[in-house]
Amino acid sequence: MTDRIIFVGILVLAGIYFWATSQIPTLEIGDPLGPKAFPRLLGVGLLIAAAMLLAEMIKESKAPKEQPGEETAATEPQDTSSYKIVAGAVVVTGTYFALFEPLGYAVSTSLFLLVMTSYFHKGKTWTNVLTSLLYGFLSYYAFTKLLGVNLPSGILPF
Amino acid sequence: METFNHILNGFAVSTMPINLWYTFLGVFLGTIIGVLPGIGPSAGIALLIPVTFGMNPTSALIMMCGIYYGTKYGGSTTAILIRTPGEAASVMTSIDGYEMAKKGRAGAALAVSAIGSFIAGTLGVIGLTVFAVPLSSMALKFGPAEYFTLMLFAMTAVSTLTGKSAAKGLLATILGLMIATIGIDLQSGQARFTMGVAEFQDGVGFVVVVVGLFAVAEVFRGLEDIYKGTGAATMKITGKLWLTKEEWTRSIGPIWRGGVIGFIIGVLPGAGGTIASIMSYTTEKRLSKNPAEFGHGAIEGVAGPESANNSDTAGAMVPLLTLGIPGGGATAVLMGAFIMYGIQPGPLLFQNRPDLVWGLINSMYIGNVMLLILNLPLIGIFVQLLKIPSGILYPLIIAISVIGAYAINGSMTDLYLILLFGVVGYVFDKIDIPVAPLVLSLVLGGMMEQSFRQAMTISGASPKIFFGSAITITLVVMSVISILLPFILPMLKKYKEDGKDE
Repeated sequence: MTDRIIFVGILVLAGIYFWATSQIPTLEIGDPLGPKAFPRLLGVGLLIAAAMLLAEMIKESKAPKEQPGEETAATEPQDTSSYKIVAGAVVVTGTYFALFEPLGYAVSTSLFLLVMTSYFHKGKTWTNVLTSLLYGFLSYYAFTKLLGVNLPSGILPF
Repeated sequence: METFNHILNGFAVSTMPINLWYTFLGVFLGTIIGVLPGIGPSAGIALLIPVTFGMNPTSALIMMCGIYYGTKYGGSTTAILIRTPGEAASVMTSIDGYEMAKKGRAGAALAVSAIGSFIAGTLGVIGLTVFAVPLSSMALKFGPAEYFTLMLFAMTAVSTLTGKSAAKGLLATILGLMIATIGIDLQSGQARFTMGVAEFQDGVGFVVVVVGLFAVAEVFRGLEDIYKGTGAATMKITGKLWLTKEEWTRSIGPIWRGGVIGFIIGVLPGAGGTIASIMSYTTEKRLSKNPAEFGHGAIEGVAGPESANNSDTAGAMVPLLTLGIPGGGATAVLMGAFIMYGIQPGPLLFQNRPDLVWGLINSMYIGNVMLLILNLPLIGIFVQLLKIPSGILYPLIIAISVIGAYAINGSMTDLYLILLFGVVGYVFDKIDIPVAPLVLSLVLGGMMEQSFRQAMTISGASPKIFFGSAITITLVVMSVISILLPFILPMLKKYKEDGKDE
């Protein structure tokens, strides 16, 4: 099933890529190929990948089913709660990035660490608070003042 | 004779106090990165690039290579003590290494990994020293057509050899090449595929892609594991950190064989450390008088694979330095680092910057000695790292990635890109699309297009140039074979089996 989605995905992507390639304006001077030739080749490469995937799918469907028990296991509803956790982590990280410049590196990083550790390292409140604050502010100091890396100061005056 | 002088001069470079310090820093960080699950050599090197800007390139590259081979030492510690490979190539070590630890022989398992890694790692660097000059002088004759076909071969080999499906490997390769075409085309000055984002005119930086795919995605996988509550108990170091005479005699053969297997696999494009260690493991199991012991704490199953994945790193440096073409994910990231310092690895480097090349190669001898000391008498320090709760470690890795990604351009786009590629990496892992080929082709993409267009300009737009010399024909044939191999092999097997039946 996943492979079928990937197969359709490749075809859609190839279509978009061919179209986007055709949109590149060209001035044919001195360069016999221009900026479009290599992308066209890649579009063809995508179609080859799709064809190979189709061949693999056919090969697999012809192969004798190894264990009948396996198939029933696959049709059972999968535990999707772990995907929700990952989706949650993605949202928290995205929020962290959105607050990165307004609040500044030190504050937003400390907040992000605090939220993440209080979920994934439950129960150790003091350790989590201390680690989050120490890391956020010490790394800010070390990178901006000692290593000269530019990080946003945000709401902090320094 | 001239080469010999260059090599000696390289030792002068690599023993300069500043370079000794960076060798140490590299292998020290490498061991830490190797021990910590969730962050590997690719992400480690990519994260350091922005921080090391402005450093002398020789010292910076010595440090980054130190990280690359240092991680293989550290990876075994985690594999033995918590049955989780700290680094992908240690996966075989986690089988018998953890079993040895359960039987109270953790000390011996750690000792044999460190010693085997040292012997095989040094063996690999000797191989690198010997093969570097003849290969690089051969590569000097390469024109754009040869380079294009060489890259084609490297990419097809990586496509079919990493991951479960050749089609998905090829898909990853093409995706990497497509990302590489984003930005201003160097020859015509046309902007391509920028989707209206101004930052994309300079292209999508490979650091953000690597950090996203290798660090952020790994964090998401790790957080998922915490939620599921998987993971084995951490073993304490038990027994002396040394081998008994019997263990020593059993290990020496696997170490040498593993060293040779690893080096050969390393030189070839595509396979890499994980396959080298699997091959060493199966070889030792086949040669063993007592194959049933494998999987239950056979020391050969630790000695061989650990040696193989260390000499593999030295082998993988051969095509990177002599041809300028990396054969896998981590060396592709190293190549990206070279390029960001304005240094093009390849045969010309041996002529123009022998001090850099030989300083770098010779620093690997020194680095291996340092690693032996760090990973044997001082191993206790690194084991402390395993006490960091993963619920704190993984969020910290994201915070570290943020500094690395933001420091390059100070651009918010780069931050959102690491998140995007983090999600992509996580999803790709679930649907079995390998990411190493994507990184390789992303790094090589620009060069590949340039050599393609140069070759076509030379030939007057006739593709015959790619069949113009013995070298290009060989490389094209090898590329086609590596694409078709996954389809041909089962057919051959079936043919053989059918023959047997009759």
